[in-house]
Amino acid sequence: MVPALVLFVVFVLYPIFYIFAASLYDWDGINQAVYVGVQNYIEMLTDDRAFSVAIRNSVYWTFLTIFPQMILGFVLASILTAGIPFQNVFRVIFFMPAIISPVVLGIIWQRIYAPFGGLLADLAWETGARFLMQPYLSDPKIAIFSTIAVNVWQWTGFSMLMYVAGLNGLPGEVLSAAQVDGAGSLQRTRYIVLPMLRHVHQTLILLGVIGTLQTFALVYMLTKGGPNHATEMLPTYIFQKAFTLQSMGYASAVAVALLVIALSASIFQVRVLGSRFTIGG
Amino acid sequence: MGARTAKALGFIFVSLLALLWLVPIIMMLVVSLMPPDQRAPRFGGLLISGVSVQNYVTVFLDAPILQHFINSFAITIPSVVLVVLISSLAAFALARLTFFARDLWFYLLITTLMLPIPTLVVPIFQINKALGLLDSYLGLILPYTALGVPFAIVIFRSFFAGFLRELEEAAILDGCTPFGIYWRIMMPVSWSAVAVVIIWQFMTSWNEFILALVTMNSVETKPLTLVPLVYSGQFMMRPGPMFAILTLITLPVIVVYYLMQRFMVSGLTAGAVRG
Repeated sequence: MVPALVLFVVFVLYPIFYIFAASLYDWDGINQAVYVGVQNYIEMLTDDRAFSVAIRNSVYWTFLTIFPQMILGFVLASILTAGIPFQNVFRVIFFMPAIISPVVLGIIWQRIYAPFGGLLADLAWETGARFLMQPYLSDPKIAIFSTIAVNVWQWTGFSMLMYVAGLNGLPGEVLSAAQVDGAGSLQRTRYIVLPMLRHVHQTLILLGVIGTLQTFALVYMLTKGGPNHATEMLPTYIFQKAFTLQSMGYASAVAVALLVIALSASIFQVRVLGSRFTIGG
Repeated sequence: MGARTAKALGFIFVSLLALLWLVPIIMMLVVSLMPPDQRAPRFGGLLISGVSVQNYVTVFLDAPILQHFINSFAITIPSVVLVVLISSLAAFALARLTFFARDLWFYLLITTLMLPIPTLVVPIFQINKALGLLDSYLGLILPYTALGVPFAIVIFRSFFAGFLRELEEAAILDGCTPFGIYWRIMMPVSWSAVAVVIIWQFMTSWNEFILALVTMNSVETKPLTLVPLVYSGQFMMRPGPMFAILTLITLPVIVVYYLMQRFMVSGLTAGAVRG
Protein backbone atom coordinates (compact mmCIF):
# COMPACT_ATOMS: atom_id res chain seq x y z
CA MET A 1 0.00 0.00 0.00
CA VAL A 2 2.80 2.39 0.87
CA PRO A 3 4.44 2.47 -2.59
CA ALA A 4 1.03 3.07 -4.16
CA LEU A 5 0.47 6.04 -1.88
CA VAL A 6 3.94 7.51 -2.36
CA LEU A 7 3.63 7.42 -6.15
CA PHE A 8 0.11 8.77 -5.89
CA VAL A 9 1.19 11.70 -3.73
CA VAL A 10 4.23 12.60 -5.86
CA PHE A 11 2.75 12.20 -9.33
CA VAL A 12 -0.95 12.92 -8.82
CA LEU A 13 -1.74 14.83 -5.63
CA TYR A 14 1.21 17.22 -5.70
CA PRO A 15 0.76 18.06 -9.42
CA ILE A 16 -2.87 19.01 -8.74
CA PHE A 17 -1.82 21.53 -6.08
CA TYR A 18 0.97 22.59 -8.37
CA ILE A 19 -1.24 23.63 -11.29
CA PHE A 20 -3.53 25.59 -8.98
CA ALA A 21 -0.53 27.51 -7.66
CA ALA A 22 1.19 27.94 -11.03
CA SER A 23 -2.00 29.22 -12.65
CA LEU A 24 -1.68 32.41 -10.60
CA TYR A 25 1.67 33.33 -12.14
CA ASP A 26 3.02 34.62 -15.40
CA TRP A 27 5.87 32.22 -15.94
CA ASP A 28 7.93 31.04 -18.91
CA GLY A 29 9.39 28.05 -17.04
CA ILE A 30 12.89 29.56 -16.90
CA ASN A 31 12.87 33.07 -15.48
CA GLN A 32 11.43 34.19 -12.16
CA ALA A 33 7.64 33.81 -12.12
CA VAL A 34 5.56 36.94 -11.65
CA TYR A 35 2.45 36.78 -9.47
CA VAL A 36 -0.57 37.98 -11.45
CA GLY A 37 -3.49 36.73 -9.34
CA VAL A 38 -6.48 35.58 -11.37
CA GLN A 39 -5.35 37.48 -14.49
CA ASN A 40 -4.80 34.24 -16.44
CA TYR A 41 -8.34 33.12 -15.69
CA ILE A 42 -9.85 36.44 -16.68
CA GLU A 43 -8.05 36.38 -19.99
CA MET A 44 -8.94 32.74 -20.60
CA LEU A 45 -12.65 33.21 -19.93
CA THR A 46 -13.20 36.58 -21.59
CA ASP A 47 -10.66 37.06 -24.33
CA ASP A 48 -9.46 33.74 -25.68
CA ARG A 49 -11.09 32.44 -28.83
CA ALA A 50 -8.95 29.27 -28.92
CA PHE A 51 -10.14 28.35 -25.42
CA SER A 52 -13.81 28.74 -26.31
CA VAL A 53 -13.33 26.79 -29.55
CA ALA A 54 -11.68 24.01 -27.53
CA ILE A 55 -14.68 23.94 -25.18
CA ARG A 56 -17.12 23.84 -28.11
CA ASN A 57 -15.10 21.06 -29.77
CA SER A 58 -15.14 19.05 -26.54
CA VAL A 59 -18.93 19.22 -26.54
CA TYR A 60 -19.11 18.07 -30.18
CA TRP A 61 -16.59 15.36 -29.47
CA THR A 62 -18.45 14.07 -26.41
CA PHE A 63 -21.80 13.65 -28.15
CA LEU A 64 -20.55 12.61 -31.59
CA THR A 65 -18.25 9.90 -30.29
CA ILE A 66 -20.06 8.41 -27.31
CA PHE A 67 -23.51 7.76 -28.81
CA PRO A 68 -22.48 6.45 -32.27
CA GLN A 69 -19.95 4.19 -30.55
CA MET A 70 -22.53 2.88 -28.09
CA ILE A 71 -25.20 2.22 -30.72
CA LEU A 72 -22.88 0.57 -33.22
CA GLY A 73 -21.06 -1.26 -30.43
CA PHE A 74 -24.33 -2.68 -29.09
CA VAL A 75 -25.52 -3.77 -32.55
CA LEU A 76 -22.21 -5.50 -33.21
CA ALA A 77 -22.19 -7.14 -29.78
CA SER A 78 -25.73 -8.46 -30.28
CA ILE A 79 -24.79 -10.00 -33.62
CA LEU A 80 -21.48 -11.33 -32.32
CA THR A 81 -23.02 -13.13 -29.34
CA ALA A 82 -25.70 -14.84 -31.46
CA GLY A 83 -23.45 -17.70 -32.53
CA ILE A 84 -22.58 -16.71 -36.10
CA PRO A 85 -19.49 -18.25 -37.75
CA PHE A 86 -16.09 -16.69 -36.97
CA GLN A 87 -17.53 -14.44 -34.26
CA ASN A 88 -14.27 -14.40 -32.31
CA VAL A 89 -12.38 -13.34 -35.44
CA PHE A 90 -14.85 -10.49 -35.96
CA ARG A 91 -14.51 -9.38 -32.35
CA VAL A 92 -10.73 -9.19 -32.73
CA ILE A 93 -11.05 -7.21 -35.99
CA PHE A 94 -13.37 -4.60 -34.53
CA PHE A 95 -11.37 -4.25 -31.34
CA MET A 96 -8.00 -3.99 -33.08
CA PRO A 97 -7.96 -0.20 -33.68
CA ALA A 98 -8.45 0.36 -29.94
CA ILE A 99 -5.06 -1.14 -29.12
CA ILE A 100 -3.10 0.75 -31.78
CA SER A 101 -1.35 3.99 -30.88
CA PRO A 102 -3.26 7.13 -31.93
CA VAL A 103 0.06 8.39 -33.30
CA VAL A 104 0.11 5.51 -35.79
CA LEU A 105 -3.56 5.92 -36.62
CA GLY A 106 -3.14 9.66 -37.13
CA ILE A 107 -0.49 9.15 -39.81
CA ILE A 108 -2.51 6.43 -41.56
CA TRP A 109 -5.64 8.60 -41.63
CA GLN A 110 -3.67 11.51 -42.98
CA ARG A 111 -3.11 9.38 -46.06
CA ILE A 112 -6.76 8.50 -46.21
CA TYR A 113 -7.81 12.14 -46.05
CA ALA A 114 -4.94 13.60 -48.11
CA PRO A 115 -6.16 15.82 -50.98
CA PHE A 116 -3.50 14.47 -53.38
CA GLY A 117 -2.98 10.73 -53.59
CA GLY A 118 -5.16 10.12 -50.56
CA LEU A 119 -7.47 7.13 -50.47
CA LEU A 120 -10.74 9.10 -50.52
CA ALA A 121 -9.53 11.60 -53.12
CA ASP A 122 -8.36 8.82 -55.46
CA LEU A 123 -11.59 6.94 -54.92
CA ALA A 124 -13.55 10.06 -55.84
CA TRP A 125 -11.41 10.57 -58.92
CA GLU A 126 -11.68 6.98 -60.18
CA THR A 127 -15.34 6.33 -59.47
CA GLY A 128 -16.73 9.78 -60.14
CA ALA A 129 -18.14 9.96 -56.63
CA ARG A 130 -17.09 13.58 -56.37
CA PHE A 131 -18.64 14.16 -52.96
CA LEU A 132 -15.82 12.05 -51.50
CA MET A 133 -13.37 14.76 -52.51
CA GLN A 134 -13.37 17.15 -49.58
CA PRO A 135 -10.73 19.23 -47.82
CA TYR A 136 -11.18 16.89 -44.85
CA LEU A 137 -8.47 18.30 -42.62
CA SER A 138 -7.86 21.75 -44.10
CA ASP A 139 -11.39 23.17 -44.01
CA PRO A 140 -11.98 24.65 -40.53
CA LYS A 141 -15.67 23.78 -40.82
CA ILE A 142 -15.23 20.04 -41.30
CA ALA A 143 -11.78 19.28 -39.85
CA ILE A 144 -13.15 18.60 -36.36
CA PHE A 145 -15.71 16.14 -37.73
CA SER A 146 -13.06 14.31 -39.78
CA THR A 147 -11.04 13.96 -36.59
CA ILE A 148 -14.04 12.73 -34.60
CA ALA A 149 -14.76 10.10 -37.29
CA VAL A 150 -11.32 8.55 -36.71
CA ASN A 151 -12.01 8.42 -33.00
CA VAL A 152 -15.35 6.65 -33.56
CA TRP A 153 -13.62 4.14 -35.82
CA GLN A 154 -10.97 3.54 -33.16
CA TRP A 155 -13.20 3.05 -30.12
CA THR A 156 -16.38 1.33 -31.40
CA GLY A 157 -14.71 -2.03 -30.86
CA PHE A 158 -14.16 -1.21 -27.20
CA SER A 159 -17.87 -0.47 -26.73
CA MET A 160 -18.62 -3.72 -28.54
CA LEU A 161 -16.36 -5.68 -26.19
CA MET A 162 -17.95 -4.14 -23.10
CA TYR A 163 -21.41 -5.05 -24.42
CA VAL A 164 -20.25 -8.58 -25.28
CA ALA A 165 -19.06 -8.96 -21.70
CA GLY A 166 -22.35 -7.50 -20.43
CA LEU A 167 -24.48 -9.74 -22.65
CA ASN A 168 -22.51 -12.82 -21.61
CA GLY A 169 -23.17 -11.91 -17.99
CA LEU A 170 -26.96 -11.70 -18.40
CA PRO A 171 -28.83 -14.52 -16.65
CA GLY A 172 -30.12 -16.87 -19.37
CA GLU A 173 -33.26 -17.80 -17.39
CA VAL A 174 -34.71 -14.30 -17.65
CA LEU A 175 -34.34 -14.25 -21.41
CA SER A 176 -35.80 -17.69 -21.95
CA ALA A 177 -38.66 -16.87 -19.57
CA ALA A 178 -39.44 -13.81 -21.68
CA GLN A 179 -39.32 -15.94 -24.80
CA VAL A 180 -41.79 -18.40 -23.29
CA ASP A 181 -44.04 -15.47 -22.46
CA GLY A 182 -44.07 -14.63 -26.15
CA ALA A 183 -41.79 -11.60 -26.22
CA GLY A 184 -40.26 -11.08 -29.68
CA SER A 185 -36.55 -10.44 -30.04
CA LEU A 186 -37.00 -6.67 -30.47
CA GLN A 187 -39.24 -6.51 -27.41
CA ARG A 188 -36.74 -8.53 -25.42
CA THR A 189 -33.99 -6.14 -26.43
CA ARG A 190 -36.05 -3.05 -25.65
CA TYR A 191 -37.58 -4.07 -22.32
CA ILE A 192 -35.15 -6.57 -20.86
CA VAL A 193 -31.68 -6.54 -22.39
CA LEU A 194 -31.10 -2.78 -22.65
CA PRO A 195 -32.31 -1.98 -19.11
CA MET A 196 -30.27 -4.86 -17.69
CA LEU A 197 -27.15 -3.51 -19.38
CA ARG A 198 -27.65 -0.15 -17.67
CA HIS A 199 -24.30 -0.31 -15.89
CA VAL A 200 -22.50 -0.95 -19.20
CA HIS A 201 -24.13 2.15 -20.75
CA GLN A 202 -23.10 4.21 -17.74
CA THR A 203 -19.53 2.94 -17.76
CA LEU A 204 -19.20 3.71 -21.48
CA ILE A 205 -20.51 7.24 -21.03
CA LEU A 206 -18.16 7.83 -18.10
CA LEU A 207 -15.16 6.48 -20.01
CA GLY A 208 -16.24 8.40 -23.12
CA VAL A 209 -16.27 11.72 -21.30
CA ILE A 210 -12.87 11.08 -19.74
CA GLY A 211 -11.52 9.90 -23.11
CA THR A 212 -12.78 13.07 -24.77
CA LEU A 213 -11.16 15.28 -22.18
CA GLN A 214 -7.77 13.63 -22.64
CA THR A 215 -7.75 13.57 -26.43
CA PHE A 216 -4.31 14.67 -27.51
CA ALA A 217 -2.21 12.39 -29.72
CA LEU A 218 -4.78 11.88 -32.48
CA VAL A 219 -5.48 15.59 -32.91
CA TYR A 220 -1.80 16.45 -32.57
CA MET A 221 -0.86 14.05 -35.37
CA LEU A 222 -3.76 14.91 -37.69
CA THR A 223 -4.00 18.69 -37.44
CA LYS A 224 -1.96 19.97 -34.47
CA GLY A 225 -5.22 21.65 -33.41
CA GLY A 226 -5.44 23.69 -36.61
CA PRO A 227 -6.28 25.08 -39.05
CA ASN A 228 -6.41 28.23 -36.95
CA HIS A 229 -7.49 26.38 -33.76
CA ALA A 230 -10.45 24.77 -35.59
CA THR A 231 -9.70 21.34 -34.10
CA GLU A 232 -8.26 22.60 -30.82
CA MET A 233 -9.01 20.48 -27.75
CA LEU A 234 -8.09 21.47 -24.19
CA PRO A 235 -5.06 19.11 -24.04
CA THR A 236 -3.63 20.32 -27.34
CA TYR A 237 -4.10 23.89 -26.16
CA ILE A 238 -2.35 23.20 -22.84
CA PHE A 239 0.53 21.63 -24.72
CA GLN A 240 0.82 24.51 -27.16
CA LYS A 241 0.73 27.14 -24.42
CA ALA A 242 3.18 25.34 -22.15
CA PHE A 243 5.72 23.89 -24.52
CA THR A 244 5.49 25.87 -27.75
CA LEU A 245 4.73 29.33 -26.36
CA GLN A 246 6.41 28.76 -22.98
CA SER A 247 3.51 30.16 -20.94
CA MET A 248 3.55 27.67 -18.10
CA GLY A 249 1.29 29.81 -15.92
CA TYR A 250 -1.41 30.27 -18.54
CA ALA A 251 -1.20 26.59 -19.48
CA SER A 252 -1.73 25.73 -15.81
CA ALA A 253 -4.87 27.87 -15.75
CA VAL A 254 -6.20 25.94 -18.75
CA ALA A 255 -5.22 22.70 -16.97
CA VAL A 256 -7.20 23.80 -13.91
CA ALA A 257 -10.20 24.45 -16.16
CA LEU A 258 -9.82 20.97 -17.66
CA LEU A 259 -9.51 19.44 -14.20
CA VAL A 260 -12.60 21.22 -12.93
CA ILE A 261 -14.61 20.17 -16.00
CA ALA A 262 -13.43 16.56 -15.73
CA LEU A 263 -14.14 16.24 -12.03
CA SER A 264 -17.52 17.95 -12.14
CA ALA A 265 -18.58 15.85 -15.14
CA SER A 266 -17.54 12.71 -13.28
CA ILE A 267 -19.18 13.73 -10.01
CA PHE A 268 -22.35 14.63 -11.90
CA GLN A 269 -22.42 11.21 -13.53
CA VAL A 270 -21.58 9.25 -10.42
CA ARG A 271 -23.92 11.16 -8.11
CA VAL A 272 -26.82 12.03 -10.41
CA LEU A 273 -26.76 9.24 -12.97
CA GLY A 274 -25.41 6.62 -10.60
CA SER A 275 -22.54 5.53 -12.86
CA ARG A 276 -19.76 3.39 -11.55
CA PHE A 277 -16.58 1.89 -12.88
CA THR A 278 -18.07 -1.52 -13.41
CA ILE A 279 -15.17 -2.82 -15.45
CA GLY A 280 -13.93 -4.04 -12.13
CA GLY A 281 -16.93 -3.72 -9.89
CA MET B 1 -38.07 -13.61 -40.30
CA GLY B 2 -36.63 -16.86 -39.00
CA ALA B 3 -33.65 -17.07 -36.71
CA ARG B 4 -31.62 -18.55 -39.56
CA THR B 5 -32.24 -15.62 -41.91
CA ALA B 6 -31.53 -13.17 -39.12
CA LYS B 7 -28.19 -14.84 -38.47
CA ALA B 8 -27.35 -14.84 -42.19
CA LEU B 9 -28.16 -11.14 -42.49
CA GLY B 10 -26.15 -10.40 -39.34
CA PHE B 11 -23.22 -12.33 -40.77
CA ILE B 12 -23.32 -10.36 -44.04
CA PHE B 13 -23.58 -7.07 -42.16
CA VAL B 14 -20.61 -7.71 -39.88
CA SER B 15 -18.55 -9.12 -42.77
CA LEU B 16 -18.98 -5.97 -44.85
CA LEU B 17 -18.39 -3.69 -41.89
CA ALA B 18 -15.32 -5.69 -40.84
CA LEU B 19 -13.83 -5.24 -44.31
CA LEU B 20 -14.40 -1.51 -44.11
CA TRP B 21 -12.98 -1.48 -40.57
CA LEU B 22 -9.79 -3.17 -41.72
CA VAL B 23 -9.02 -0.76 -44.58
CA PRO B 24 -6.70 1.57 -42.59
CA ILE B 25 -4.83 -1.36 -41.03
CA ILE B 26 -4.45 -3.13 -44.38
CA MET B 27 -3.24 0.16 -45.81
CA MET B 28 -0.53 0.35 -43.15
CA LEU B 29 0.73 -3.14 -44.05
CA VAL B 30 0.47 -2.67 -47.82
CA VAL B 31 2.30 0.67 -47.92
CA SER B 32 5.03 -0.75 -45.69
CA LEU B 33 5.57 -3.51 -48.28
CA MET B 34 5.65 -1.10 -51.22
CA PRO B 35 8.68 -1.45 -53.52
CA PRO B 36 11.03 1.53 -53.02
CA ASP B 37 11.02 2.46 -56.72
CA GLN B 38 7.28 3.13 -56.66
CA ARG B 39 7.05 6.83 -55.87
CA ALA B 40 3.34 7.57 -55.66
CA PRO B 41 1.14 4.78 -54.35
CA ARG B 42 -2.42 5.00 -55.64
CA PHE B 43 -5.55 4.92 -53.46
CA GLY B 44 -3.55 6.18 -50.50
CA GLY B 45 -1.33 3.15 -50.93
CA LEU B 46 -3.84 0.32 -51.31
CA LEU B 47 -2.56 -0.42 -54.81
CA ILE B 48 1.14 -1.19 -55.06
CA SER B 49 3.15 -2.49 -57.98
CA GLY B 50 4.85 -5.33 -56.12
CA VAL B 51 5.84 -6.60 -52.69
CA SER B 52 9.19 -5.88 -51.06
CA VAL B 53 10.66 -5.86 -47.56
CA GLN B 54 13.15 -3.19 -48.59
CA ASN B 55 11.42 -0.53 -46.45
CA TYR B 56 12.03 -2.57 -43.30
CA VAL B 57 15.69 -2.95 -44.24
CA THR B 58 15.91 0.81 -44.85
CA VAL B 59 14.37 1.60 -41.49
CA PHE B 60 16.79 -0.62 -39.59
CA LEU B 61 19.80 0.68 -41.53
CA ASP B 62 18.97 4.40 -41.66
CA ALA B 63 17.48 4.83 -38.22
CA PRO B 64 18.34 3.35 -34.79
CA ILE B 65 14.98 1.57 -34.64
CA LEU B 66 16.38 -1.20 -32.46
CA GLN B 67 17.37 1.39 -29.86
CA HIS B 68 13.84 2.82 -29.87
CA PHE B 69 12.44 -0.68 -29.43
CA ILE B 70 14.71 -1.20 -26.43
CA ASN B 71 13.60 2.16 -25.01
CA SER B 72 9.93 1.27 -25.35
CA PHE B 73 10.42 -2.09 -23.66
CA ALA B 74 12.66 -0.58 -20.96
CA ILE B 75 9.84 1.83 -20.09
CA THR B 76 6.83 -0.45 -20.58
CA ILE B 77 7.91 -3.69 -18.89
CA PRO B 78 8.96 -2.16 -15.53
CA SER B 79 5.75 -0.14 -15.42
CA VAL B 80 3.65 -3.27 -16.07
CA VAL B 81 5.50 -5.28 -13.39
CA LEU B 82 5.29 -2.44 -10.87
CA VAL B 83 1.58 -1.84 -11.51
CA VAL B 84 0.71 -5.54 -11.09
CA LEU B 85 2.70 -5.86 -7.86
CA ILE B 86 1.81 -2.54 -6.25
CA SER B 87 -1.86 -2.53 -7.15
CA SER B 88 -2.56 -6.15 -6.25
CA LEU B 89 -0.94 -5.64 -2.84
CA ALA B 90 -2.80 -2.36 -2.36
CA ALA B 91 -6.09 -3.93 -3.43
CA PHE B 92 -5.50 -6.77 -0.98
CA ALA B 93 -4.85 -4.24 1.78
CA LEU B 94 -7.96 -2.27 0.83
CA ALA B 95 -10.13 -5.38 0.70
CA ARG B 96 -8.85 -7.19 3.79
CA LEU B 97 -6.74 -5.12 6.16
CA THR B 98 -7.76 -2.10 8.19
CA PHE B 99 -5.56 0.96 8.47
CA PHE B 100 -5.74 4.70 8.93
CA ALA B 101 -8.24 6.52 6.67
CA ARG B 102 -8.53 3.47 4.43
CA ASP B 103 -11.72 4.46 2.61
CA LEU B 104 -10.56 8.04 2.11
CA TRP B 105 -7.40 6.78 0.38
CA PHE B 106 -9.48 4.52 -1.81
CA TYR B 107 -11.75 7.34 -2.96
CA LEU B 108 -8.79 9.62 -3.60
CA LEU B 109 -7.18 6.91 -5.72
CA ILE B 110 -10.40 6.35 -7.66
CA THR B 111 -10.64 10.06 -8.39
CA THR B 112 -7.40 9.68 -10.35
CA LEU B 113 -9.32 7.59 -12.88
CA MET B 114 -11.29 10.68 -13.79
CA LEU B 115 -8.21 12.83 -14.17
CA PRO B 116 -7.19 13.67 -17.73
CA ILE B 117 -3.43 13.09 -18.02
CA PRO B 118 -2.84 16.38 -19.91
CA THR B 119 -3.76 18.32 -16.77
CA LEU B 120 -0.65 16.84 -15.17
CA VAL B 121 1.77 17.32 -18.03
CA VAL B 122 3.21 20.66 -16.87
CA PRO B 123 3.81 19.63 -13.22
CA ILE B 124 5.16 16.19 -14.14
CA PHE B 125 7.58 17.86 -16.54
CA GLN B 126 8.72 20.21 -13.75
CA ILE B 127 9.00 17.35 -11.21
CA ASN B 128 11.11 15.30 -13.62
CA LYS B 129 13.25 18.35 -14.28
CA ALA B 130 13.76 18.92 -10.55
CA LEU B 131 14.58 15.25 -9.93
CA GLY B 132 16.92 15.11 -12.94
CA LEU B 133 14.71 12.49 -14.61
CA LEU B 134 14.32 14.18 -17.99
CA ASP B 135 15.67 11.88 -20.71
CA SER B 136 15.70 8.93 -18.32
CA TYR B 137 13.48 5.84 -18.39
CA LEU B 138 12.51 6.40 -14.77
CA GLY B 139 11.02 9.76 -15.72
CA LEU B 140 8.28 7.87 -17.56
CA ILE B 141 8.17 4.58 -15.61
CA LEU B 142 7.20 6.33 -12.35
CA PRO B 143 4.34 8.49 -13.68
CA TYR B 144 3.00 5.63 -15.85
CA THR B 145 2.96 3.41 -12.78
CA ALA B 146 1.33 6.09 -10.63
CA LEU B 147 -1.36 6.70 -13.24
CA GLY B 148 -1.92 2.98 -13.94
CA VAL B 149 -2.28 1.82 -10.34
CA PRO B 150 -5.81 3.16 -9.62
CA PHE B 151 -7.49 1.33 -12.53
CA ALA B 152 -5.62 -1.86 -11.62
CA ILE B 153 -6.70 -1.53 -7.97
CA VAL B 154 -10.34 -1.34 -9.05
CA ILE B 155 -9.95 -4.56 -11.05
CA PHE B 156 -8.08 -6.47 -8.35
CA ARG B 157 -10.30 -5.25 -5.54
CA SER B 158 -13.44 -6.62 -7.20
CA PHE B 159 -11.74 -9.98 -7.65
CA PHE B 160 -10.54 -10.15 -4.07
CA ALA B 161 -13.84 -8.90 -2.64
CA GLY B 162 -15.71 -11.81 -4.22
CA PHE B 163 -13.31 -14.28 -2.68
CA LEU B 164 -14.48 -16.91 -0.21
CA ARG B 165 -13.82 -15.78 3.35
CA GLU B 166 -14.08 -19.36 4.66
CA LEU B 167 -11.08 -20.38 2.62
CA GLU B 168 -9.02 -17.57 4.12
CA GLU B 169 -10.19 -18.32 7.64
CA ALA B 170 -9.14 -21.93 7.13
CA ALA B 171 -5.76 -20.68 5.92
CA ILE B 172 -5.37 -18.44 8.97
CA LEU B 173 -6.16 -21.41 11.24
CA ASP B 174 -3.42 -23.31 9.45
CA GLY B 175 -1.01 -20.52 10.38
CA CYS B 176 -0.98 -18.57 7.13
CA THR B 177 0.17 -14.92 7.33
CA PRO B 178 -1.72 -12.14 5.50
CA PHE B 179 1.05 -12.09 2.92
CA GLY B 180 0.71 -15.84 2.55
CA ILE B 181 -3.01 -15.43 1.85
CA TYR B 182 -2.23 -12.81 -0.77
CA TRP B 183 0.59 -14.73 -2.42
CA ARG B 184 -0.51 -18.37 -2.12
CA ILE B 185 -4.29 -18.13 -2.28
CA MET B 186 -5.51 -14.96 -3.94
CA MET B 187 -2.96 -14.30 -6.67
CA PRO B 188 -2.97 -17.83 -8.16
CA VAL B 189 -6.73 -17.67 -8.82
CA SER B 190 -6.77 -14.09 -10.06
CA TRP B 191 -5.13 -14.78 -13.39
CA SER B 192 -7.82 -13.17 -15.49
CA ALA B 193 -7.56 -9.97 -13.41
CA VAL B 194 -3.79 -10.03 -13.85
CA ALA B 195 -4.27 -10.49 -17.61
CA VAL B 196 -6.63 -7.53 -17.89
CA VAL B 197 -4.20 -5.36 -15.94
CA ILE B 198 -1.22 -6.50 -18.02
CA ILE B 199 -2.98 -5.81 -21.34
CA TRP B 200 -4.24 -2.45 -20.17
CA GLN B 201 -0.98 -1.25 -18.68
CA PHE B 202 1.11 -2.54 -21.58
CA MET B 203 -1.13 -0.78 -24.09
CA THR B 204 -1.29 2.52 -22.25
CA SER B 205 2.44 2.66 -21.49
CA TRP B 206 3.46 1.51 -24.96
CA ASN B 207 1.14 3.97 -26.70
CA GLU B 208 1.45 6.92 -24.30
CA PHE B 209 2.41 10.05 -26.11
CA ILE B 210 2.09 13.42 -24.36
CA LEU B 211 4.28 12.69 -21.32
CA ALA B 212 6.86 10.98 -23.50
CA LEU B 213 6.86 13.96 -25.82
CA VAL B 214 7.81 16.40 -23.06
CA THR B 215 10.09 14.07 -21.07
CA MET B 216 12.33 12.57 -23.76
CA ASN B 217 14.24 15.22 -25.64
CA SER B 218 17.29 13.37 -26.90
CA VAL B 219 16.76 10.97 -29.78
CA GLU B 220 18.59 8.09 -28.02
CA THR B 221 16.01 7.80 -25.23
CA LYS B 222 12.80 8.30 -27.23
CA PRO B 223 10.32 5.41 -27.20
CA LEU B 224 8.70 4.18 -30.42
CA THR B 225 5.62 6.43 -30.23
CA LEU B 226 7.83 9.46 -30.81
CA VAL B 227 9.69 7.90 -33.72
CA PRO B 228 7.24 9.00 -36.46
CA LEU B 229 7.80 12.61 -35.37
CA VAL B 230 11.58 12.25 -35.27
CA TYR B 231 11.80 10.86 -38.77
CA SER B 232 8.87 12.65 -40.34
CA GLY B 233 11.31 15.00 -42.08
CA GLN B 234 13.64 12.26 -43.26
CA PHE B 235 10.85 9.97 -44.51
CA MET B 236 8.33 12.67 -45.43
CA MET B 237 8.42 11.99 -49.15
CA ARG B 238 8.78 8.23 -48.68
CA PRO B 239 5.65 6.69 -47.16
CA GLY B 240 7.15 3.18 -47.43
CA PRO B 241 9.73 3.43 -44.62
CA MET B 242 7.35 5.54 -42.51
CA PHE B 243 4.62 2.90 -42.71
CA ALA B 244 7.18 0.18 -41.97
CA ILE B 245 7.89 2.07 -38.73
CA LEU B 246 4.16 2.29 -37.98
CA THR B 247 3.81 -1.47 -38.48
CA LEU B 248 6.78 -2.13 -36.20
CA ILE B 249 5.27 0.08 -33.47
CA THR B 250 1.99 -1.79 -33.71
CA LEU B 251 3.21 -5.41 -33.79
CA PRO B 252 4.11 -5.80 -30.08
CA VAL B 253 0.72 -4.55 -28.82
CA ILE B 254 -1.05 -6.92 -31.21
CA VAL B 255 1.07 -9.84 -30.00
CA VAL B 256 0.39 -9.05 -26.32
CA TYR B 257 -3.31 -8.61 -27.02
CA TYR B 258 -3.46 -11.86 -28.96
CA LEU B 259 -1.70 -13.81 -26.19
CA MET B 260 -3.90 -12.35 -23.45
CA GLN B 261 -7.24 -11.79 -25.16
CA ARG B 262 -8.89 -15.05 -24.09
CA PHE B 263 -8.63 -13.80 -20.50
CA MET B 264 -9.90 -10.36 -21.42
CA VAL B 265 -13.61 -11.08 -22.01
CA SER B 266 -13.82 -13.44 -19.03
CA GLY B 267 -12.08 -10.86 -16.84
CA LEU B 268 -14.44 -8.12 -17.96
CA THR B 269 -17.46 -10.42 -17.58
CA ALA B 270 -16.51 -11.35 -14.02
CA GLY B 271 -16.32 -7.65 -13.21
CA ALA B 272 -19.61 -6.90 -14.92
CA VAL B 273 -21.48 -9.62 -13.05
CA ARG B 274 -20.19 -8.51 -9.68
CA GLY B 275 -20.80 -4.87 -10.44
